Amino acid sequence: MTSETMYILAGVLLAALAMHRLCTARDALARILALNVLSVGIAMLMLLAGRVAGVTDAVPQAFVLTGIVVLVAVTAALLSLAERISGGDDD
Amino acid sequence: MTQLFDALLAVGIVGVAVAALFANDRFAAVGAFMVMGFLVALSWVRLGAPDVALAEAAIGAGLTGALLLRSARRLRVEPKMCQSRWSVAASGLISIGFAGLLYAAITSVPTVPAYPPLVAERLGESGVSNPVTAVLLNFRAWDTLLEIAVLFVALVLVIVVPVSRVRPAPLGEMVVPFAKVVVPLSVLISGHLLWQGADAPGGAFQAGAVLAGGGLALVLAGAMRLKKPLQGGILRATALSGLAVFGAAAVATAALTGHLLGYPDGQAKIWILGIEAVLTLAIAATLVLLFHGSVRRVPK
Amino acid sequence: MSTVLDILGTAMMTAGTGFLLMAAFAFWRLPDLLSRLHALTKADTAGVALIVCGAACMTSGIAAVLSLVLCGVLVALSGATTGHLIAQASLEDEERA
Repeated sequence: MTSETMYILAGVLLAALAMHRLCTARDALARILALNVLSVGIAMLMLLAGRVAGVTDAVPQAFVLTGIVVLVAVTAALLSLAERISGGDDD
Repeated sequence: MTQLFDALLAVGIVGVAVAALFANDRFAAVGAFMVMGFLVALSWVRLGAPDVALAEAAIGAGLTGALLLRSARRLRVEPKMCQSRWSVAASGLISIGFAGLLYAAITSVPTVPAYPPLVAERLGESGVSNPVTAVLLNFRAWDTLLEIAVLFVALVLVIVVPVSRVRPAPLGEMVVPFAKVVVPLSVLISGHLLWQGADAPGGAFQAGAVLAGGGLALVLAGAMRLKKPLQGGILRATALSGLAVFGAAAVATAALTGHLLGYPDGQAKIWILGIEAVLTLAIAATLVLLFHGSVRRVPK
Repeated sequence: MSTVLDILGTAMMTAGTGFLLMAAFAFWRLPDLLSRLHALTKADTAGVALIVCGAACMTSGIAAVLSLVLCGVLVALSGATTGHLIAQASLEDEERA
């Protein structure tokens, strides 16, 4: 098994486990965390898809970088919405 | 030998991800998530993508972890509803199918390099020699402009949704001296990453994330008080300046060359560095504001 | 000369890795938070410092050595500070409980 295959399997497992958790968790924090794990798995697969002959393509790298930055913004927005929903009664 | 290392790393990533997803304790889950981020960053270094690895370590693991830890105490813990066994089984089946589809898709990707020859051919004209920076700020600068717009929208959302603030506990006497050392270092490292992004791993996003780390140290040490209108205003204006300057650059290049973000011949490096310098400050300000959340004005 | 430095560097990196392994083992075996912190903060800092010194022996150029030293200093500082913060938070939790 080559190193690439191992990382592909890791990425697939990450995405699938996170998907399962996203479907079954009730806790908002657990869901947001699962969304983050899912995106890491997909990013791993994107990088590996653009890897030919031991060189990782720069274009998927740029996409993944964009994705990481967008995801932190989305996470912050989701967390503040979740906090608003969760803390609506104590003020 | 390196294959053994890769195998251990891959197993470690999946194991820590399971801990992050299925832990009962919130803090343990977030801790495992951060460890997973660092392990994934290490694996991306192994895959020859150090730019992305830097961003994942700083933003994906560090800042996202900080955000989740911040919210872990504020969010109410949902009462564990008894889930029907059928829905869990259905979700498991869906996830297995999803995994199969993903694996089939990834192994059927054509192994002919599509972009690398194109990137290599035009790299000389892009003004920088790091291909990732060339893609981000020259070939597909449009995407990056829209990404900054997304950051801005998220920031607006966080600002207009005030949360009932939990007063943070005082952090003790270690934090102020720590911030005194770390904040100047973060400015130094951020400038270094910004400058070397032109021809080595680095760039505006990594530099912005490091600077945001310094900013968070200032906030936590109580030196930056975003409740004060002046300091909060300056930070919000800095966050806004990224989108404003990038947009203005797009309009200016359209006027000069007829293409949006098509830089004039021979001046690409100046344009890219100028945009990146503003973006670094704007991204850092945005990330600090996203962490801090909005401030509700208390009527006197 | 370079072989001497290589051997020295490899030895230091091996020792550093040993320290980190011990830290991981301690984290796994020790019962409570404070004793874990006690083991982790020290073994971690020592391990990273040794690895940094080992790597510095094997690289050339002042810039690479300086950035390695910076890594070591940052790890030492943040390790000590976060260790202190975690311990303080756990003590406060105990008082509240």
